[in-house]
Amino acid sequence: MPTVAKVWIEEDCITCDACEDILPEVFEVTDDTSQIKSDVREDGAFDRNTGFSSIKTQFRAEYSELIEEAADACPVEIIKFEYEGGTAEVVSEEVAPVVDAAPAPAAASADTGDNSGVLAGVLSGDRSLAVFFGSQTGNAAGLAEKTAKKAAAYGLEASVIDMDGYDQTKFATHKRILIITSTWGEGEMPDNAEELWNATCSSNPGLSGVHYSVCAIGDSSYDEFCKAGTDWDGKFASLGATSILDIKLCDVDFDEPWSQWVGEVLPRIACVDSGGVFQEDLVEAMIAYGAGEEDDGVDAGDFTPANIIQPAISLTMRIFRYDPILAQSGYDTVAVNLPGHASIEDALVAVKREVDGSLTFRSGGLVGQNPLSGIKANGRILPADTTRICDLVSDGETLTLEPVPGYEVVKDLMVSYDRYDYARADSKPWLEADPRQGERLANGSPIGVMSSSEATYLHTLADVGSLQLVNAMSDTYDVDEVYSGPGLALQRWVRSQDPRSGKAHIKQMFDLMQGKGGVWDEADISSIHRHGIDGSQAADSLYAARARLLAEYKFVGKTGRLVKTYARSVKMSGNVNETTLYRSVLGPLGLGSNIMNGISLRMMLGFTRNGGPMMRGFQGMLVPPAGIGKIPNMFNSKIANHHEVVAIFNELDGRF
Amino acid sequence: MVKYSYYPGNVARQSSREVEDTIQPLCKTLGIELIEIVGYNSDGGNIIKQGNRELQLALNARNLALAEKKGHDIITACASAQGILHESLDTFQNDEIALASANRVLEKTTGLTLNASEISSSHLLHVLVDEIGLDKVEAAVVNPLDLDIACYYGPHMQRKGACGGDDAWNPTYMEQLITALGGRPVEYKTKTSSVGNPSLLSLGDTVMKMTARVLNDAKKAGGQVLVSACTQSHSNLDSYQGKAGRVANKDTSIPVVNLTEIIAFALGHFTDRFAQLRTRAILIGS
Repeated sequence: MPTVAKVWIEEDCITCDACEDILPEVFEVTDDTSQIKSDVREDGAFDRNTGFSSIKTQFRAEYSELIEEAADACPVEIIKFEYEGGTAEVVSEEVAPVVDAAPAPAAASADTGDNSGVLAGVLSGDRSLAVFFGSQTGNAAGLAEKTAKKAAAYGLEASVIDMDGYDQTKFATHKRILIITSTWGEGEMPDNAEELWNATCSSNPGLSGVHYSVCAIGDSSYDEFCKAGTDWDGKFASLGATSILDIKLCDVDFDEPWSQWVGEVLPRIACVDSGGVFQEDLVEAMIAYGAGEEDDGVDAGDFTPANIIQPAISLTMRIFRYDPILAQSGYDTVAVNLPGHASIEDALVAVKREVDGSLTFRSGGLVGQNPLSGIKANGRILPADTTRICDLVSDGETLTLEPVPGYEVVKDLMVSYDRYDYARADSKPWLEADPRQGERLANGSPIGVMSSSEATYLHTLADVGSLQLVNAMSDTYDVDEVYSGPGLALQRWVRSQDPRSGKAHIKQMFDLMQGKGGVWDEADISSIHRHGIDGSQAADSLYAARARLLAEYKFVGKTGRLVKTYARSVKMSGNVNETTLYRSVLGPLGLGSNIMNGISLRMMLGFTRNGGPMMRGFQGMLVPPAGIGKIPNMFNSKIANHHEVVAIFNELDGRF
Repeated sequence: MVKYSYYPGNVARQSSREVEDTIQPLCKTLGIELIEIVGYNSDGGNIIKQGNRELQLALNARNLALAEKKGHDIITACASAQGILHESLDTFQNDEIALASANRVLEKTTGLTLNASEISSSHLLHVLVDEIGLDKVEAAVVNPLDLDIACYYGPHMQRKGACGGDDAWNPTYMEQLITALGGRPVEYKTKTSSVGNPSLLSLGDTVMKMTARVLNDAKKAGGQVLVSACTQSHSNLDSYQGKAGRVANKDTSIPVVNLTEIIAFALGHFTDRFAQLRTRAILIGS
């Protein structure tokens, strides 16, 4: 039996300690990687032995079997070795690259079957394949990922590349390119491809060394069927690229034609060698080679997502800094270069490590979204740990990072969420189930019940990433210390809609929403609504809660009067009558207050208006209610076909 | 001439006559024909929505259907109106049930139906930049503004799809327009923040603080005049600025005009009002 003469560790060790457990005399796992110990090596060094130093002769027989066992046990298969006499190492398969490439299966890297001999030349060297997608709804992106996975069977190392933000001058760096694109509207490029298309058309980069093929998705009911794909095909050809296979046009049922295209194009493009030459006579052998590890790429238990690569971007980061000891604040400006797919938190970690270790922010951790990792990034309230920088800024732009508003700043970008926690504890928006006859646990405890549709409705209502951040989305929360915020309002609303909640608890939730600090303290729901899906979800719930409260509390107070008067005035004439509105909502005292506050005076003296008849100003002082500063019509004339508006009101809401 | 169905919003023909006074001549100068939507109704101002969402949607469906019948897209000069129109249209285009429900009511009460796929709404600002072109606007300038101007967008139309090709979070269209009109835009960070206009009558001090924040930021940034793209918010920013300053204990004295006014002035309309504004800017704006 041959003995092992050399052993070394390749990159990407996951420091699992398996090798050291098996053979501590040879392997030692440090913080970053496993190392080959100096005692057993001819060169006496302590590293991964990438210089291939031999094992001392006296240890070879003793450790050979255990080295083989350690290599077998290595979960990422990075332990490599060589037998005495220079015989081939026994390595089952190479390691899939972790970054920027789809995993390479056994067939690609170590198959020693019949075909690998003739294919040895073409399978060596650069095996990169760039799969670009232009996608509006995600279909093309999905096909690109599947294509990349299938490419591995042909020994290709595929990268899936979003056309959005790609630099057209880099097309020429690829030898093998596949393009999968949909067509949008009347023959237009998908949104993510438009910029690249325009840039390519204007700069016309030479692509003479590129082999390519295009798979176009479209809808044959449109005149410009698959136009985006045919445009790319024509453009690549005109720029000197070589088509490896004719363009495939796919209709709305694209799975079948895409599958045919992939089956034909991959073995062909895999026969483009590292020198960029298409070895057409090897295509049959490549087909057989790929078939040896046939994989449809969509098995549920075999799913490995390909990496979506974003080009690196350079940006200027303006980071808010606050020193609580000196009570001083300001902004630091840092120029950084980052992978486009880096998160905001990645960037902050990099700045903390490389520039200023005192930078303080709340980390989201390694897995999932931390609801407290929020940040204000160029005006948007976002979780720092799951928001990609490339989704916020483009190359060369500035990213301003500030603490989320509405909360006390502890230091730099870190805020205290005590305000939210105390308000939540005070209002108890958690489940307090109502005992129901016949619905009890085995121990006799009462339980609430809920149908699946009700459960779905409740989950949908509450489906926001962070209630603390929803609070910060409100422009009101920052200026009103009593307001408990839209996030807490959402929680209270959800609980009031929960069929398991007891009646007393529902009443308590309604009272809290109606009272001081409740949903009526939100001055402008629009400021929340524009903050993406979470903001829109919270805004919709606020509107729903207000509608329910108006019905529950019979339009009481200023807010109730505002809605009722507004609606009635619209019903009466077709348009809102501001005179009626101000008089009804503010009342005599409110109007008097406006006069006392100088609002009416400002108007009369002409400070607040840019012209118009002066008489309107005097009219405002003489005819109450005129204290709104700008004088509306006292009476509205009815709009044309006013009866239609009345009919709409009567049809939908008899309360007005 | 580019033709648009004109929706004045809730106040341009009520308390904010200056908008109605100025939009007509400026559009004529720039080749925009405003087609009246005969019998248009209030969009509900997001106030009716608080009591009944379906009712506000139906009111907007009527306006949209009237404009659709004329065959022109809608233009408005109020950010709040644009926000509501866009949100309603977005709902109808993406929620078949909402569209069917609104159409059921519309058909029964008005005989109209809304298709919703063939119409869009835009704010005047986005029409000028995206369609008319700033070069054409610049060429039409008669009286260059020559003022330091803070631009106020408000939050209502600052969402994707509602603000043309502008950046919803860091808009620059108004600054570009002001530059084309011979003014000097100043930057401040609350230009898309709310001033709480929907709650002007129901929430006192909170709305005053929100108003004061915007006015003070604009003033601190060096603005001599604040220009508002939202006719509704103009009430807070203008009429209530004294009260807002006292409540928030901030300097809020700055002349506030509507976007349509400042454009009209630069294009040579209402020279007397422009002179008045200049005087105010010199006296209290700096």
